[in-house]
Amino acid sequence: MRVLAVEDEPDLLGSLLKALREDGYAVDGAPDGEDGLDKAESYDYDAVVLDIMLPGIDGWEVLRRLRKTKKTPVLMLTARDAVRDRVRGLDSGADDYLVKPFELSELLARLRALIRRSASQAQPQLEIGDVTIDTAARKVSRQGQEVLITAREYSLLEFLALHRGELVTRTMLYDHLFDENDDTLSNLLDVHVSNLRKKLGHDFIITRRGHGYCIE
Amino acid sequence: MIFNSIRWRLQAWHGLILVAVLAGFGVAAYQVAHDNQLRRIDQDLEQHLMALVRPRPPRPPQGRFPDEPPGQSSAPQFGRQPGSQPGEPREDRRFDSPDFLQNMRELVQQGGVLDASQTNTFYYILWQGDGAVVARSPGAPDNVPAPTRVGSPEPQGLQGRDAFGKGSPGMPGPGLPPEARTRGQMREAYRFLPHGQCLLVGRSLVPDLAAMRRLALWLTAAGATELLLGLAGGWWVATRAIRPINAISATAVRIADGDLSQRISAADTESELGRLAGVLNSTFARLEAAFDQQARFTSDASHELRTPVSVILTQTQTALSRERSSGEYQEALEACQRAARRMKALTESLLELARLDAGQKPIKRERFDLAGVVRDCVELLRPLAAERGIQIHCDVPPMECLGDAERIGQVVTNLLTNAIHFNRDQGEVRLSARAEHGGVLLTVADTGQGIPVEDIPHLFERFYRVDKSRSRIQGRNGLGLAICKAIVDAHGGTIDVTSQAGVGTTFTVRLPLT
Repeated sequence: MRVLAVEDEPDLLGSLLKALREDGYAVDGAPDGEDGLDKAESYDYDAVVLDIMLPGIDGWEVLRRLRKTKKTPVLMLTARDAVRDRVRGLDSGADDYLVKPFELSELLARLRALIRRSASQAQPQLEIGDVTIDTAARKVSRQGQEVLITAREYSLLEFLALHRGELVTRTMLYDHLFDENDDTLSNLLDVHVSNLRKKLGHDFIITRRGHGYCIE
Repeated sequence: MIFNSIRWRLQAWHGLILVAVLAGFGVAAYQVAHDNQLRRIDQDLEQHLMALVRPRPPRPPQGRFPDEPPGQSSAPQFGRQPGSQPGEPREDRRFDSPDFLQNMRELVQQGGVLDASQTNTFYYILWQGDGAVVARSPGAPDNVPAPTRVGSPEPQGLQGRDAFGKGSPGMPGPGLPPEARTRGQMREAYRFLPHGQCLLVGRSLVPDLAAMRRLALWLTAAGATELLLGLAGGWWVATRAIRPINAISATAVRIADGDLSQRISAADTESELGRLAGVLNSTFARLEAAFDQQARFTSDASHELRTPVSVILTQTQTALSRERSSGEYQEALEACQRAARRMKALTESLLELARLDAGQKPIKRERFDLAGVVRDCVELLRPLAAERGIQIHCDVPPMECLGDAERIGQVVTNLLTNAIHFNRDQGEVRLSARAEHGGVLLTVADTGQGIPVEDIPHLFERFYRVDKSRSRIQGRNGLGLAICKAIVDAHGGTIDVTSQAGVGTTFTVRLPLT
């Protein structure tokens, strides 16, 4: 999953990026509204964390312009805890709203819920054959037995599972699993897929030669 | 209590006044009608009296009958005696003549000079000097007391004298002027003749009294109707007059309930209530503005605090989420320290403003050298300016100033810091001071890009930022100029700003010396 965080306070942005990255997201950061809008329009992020008080164009404006082209789930961050602001945020097309100062765990939970909802998946548990993916705990089990997988492998699995039945191209995977600073080589994707197949069964992920991957 | 309402009180006063006016008018109208009626009756009676005693008018000197000789008739003729001819000459004008009295007695007994239709209304009585009835007309009541004579016993004028004593020609008559009296339901006019006889003409007042009663009844009914109409009209007027007041009070209630955006709708701004509404509306607007400003200030202050708290919270939560290297811990702690410093500066500024607002920690009023204070500030900030190659030119001669040296130093530091922050690289800052009009004028000018015109009126507002990004990055909380203004205000001085895009901004502080 790839997430964009737009926040003008450098120390806050830094810790946000770090926390998100450690939670398995591919994360991009933007220090102001223009940069944020630019990035949000050019990539298909799975979610955007958007601060309202931004220099240049503020969060409201970023959201308004972004909504003209994209339906990316947006979580607004604001230091103003007024009902008016919250209503305005949700009415302007924000999908969720969090008031500063916030608990990191709450932010991460809300992000997960946002991404799940946008994939039309209401349940945090995804069951595919004998494999169960717990998106809340980020754990995978097969026939009731927990399978140990790396964060990258989990991200790959989750993305494919949320797009179950669809063909997921390598470009999509690169776009959603790696952030702009990632210099992961393309063959690493194959390595992750191969590792997942070893752990979850060889036919769990199907390769469409020249197109991409798919979970049936 | 509903009867305490203005409308009820207006109505009560209105009703009282209406009753008084209508009653006064009714009584006056009745009185006038009554007096008129009585005067008419009196005139009527007097005419009858006159007709009895008036001598026949003399034949005109060159009348219609020039060849008729005077003294043709031997008997004196009075009134329209049956058989007498109009215009018959009067022979004997002496009232004491036996003919005159005899004639009058007959006239009285016949019922006067009236025609038959009047005889049953009027009656005549003639007394002689000792009070004995000489003659009475057929319909005269029996027990009519003789009028008593008042005033001069002898008549002053006799022949040719006006019967009413008014000297009006053509109304000649003998004896005293006639008098009138009301006796029971009778009205009587009488006059004394030259030799003590008294002639009385009377009539019943019964039909007139009935007419007056009808008039009184009619006036009462009309007055009551008018009172009801007046009260209804008064109620309507009071309701109309009260309506805008009710609107005002309803609006005030809504405002008191917290909806400060309410305004009184005043269509008629020229009336007293319209002006009141205007005054109240402008008061409400100021109140709303003050509340908005207060709310904005609180919101801004909490916003300024929330951001560093968020930094500390997320930094610590991230750092503690797993085992970290000492470098990572150090990074997190440094971020926390920056956030904490920012909060410290903010709380100090807020406290400072609160103290200045509350008038606590009163401004010291001591004499100090402005040049020394300015020099200290400049030396403190020179390294900051040097980082960006900014030159500080200080042209402040030794100058005595009155006030709180520490606070003035704070103002100079804030202005100087701004002048450095918002300057261009390799720019200049000029400080100058001079005495002026019993005060001191201090200017701080920079060579920055200037302040947009639309921002200048808000520049000294708390948390107002011209450029959010730059000031935020530089860790300024938007209270510096607000504090400067509060300090200068506390000194009784003024602070102003002029700015020119691309050239620079100049802050001018005026401090009084007294």
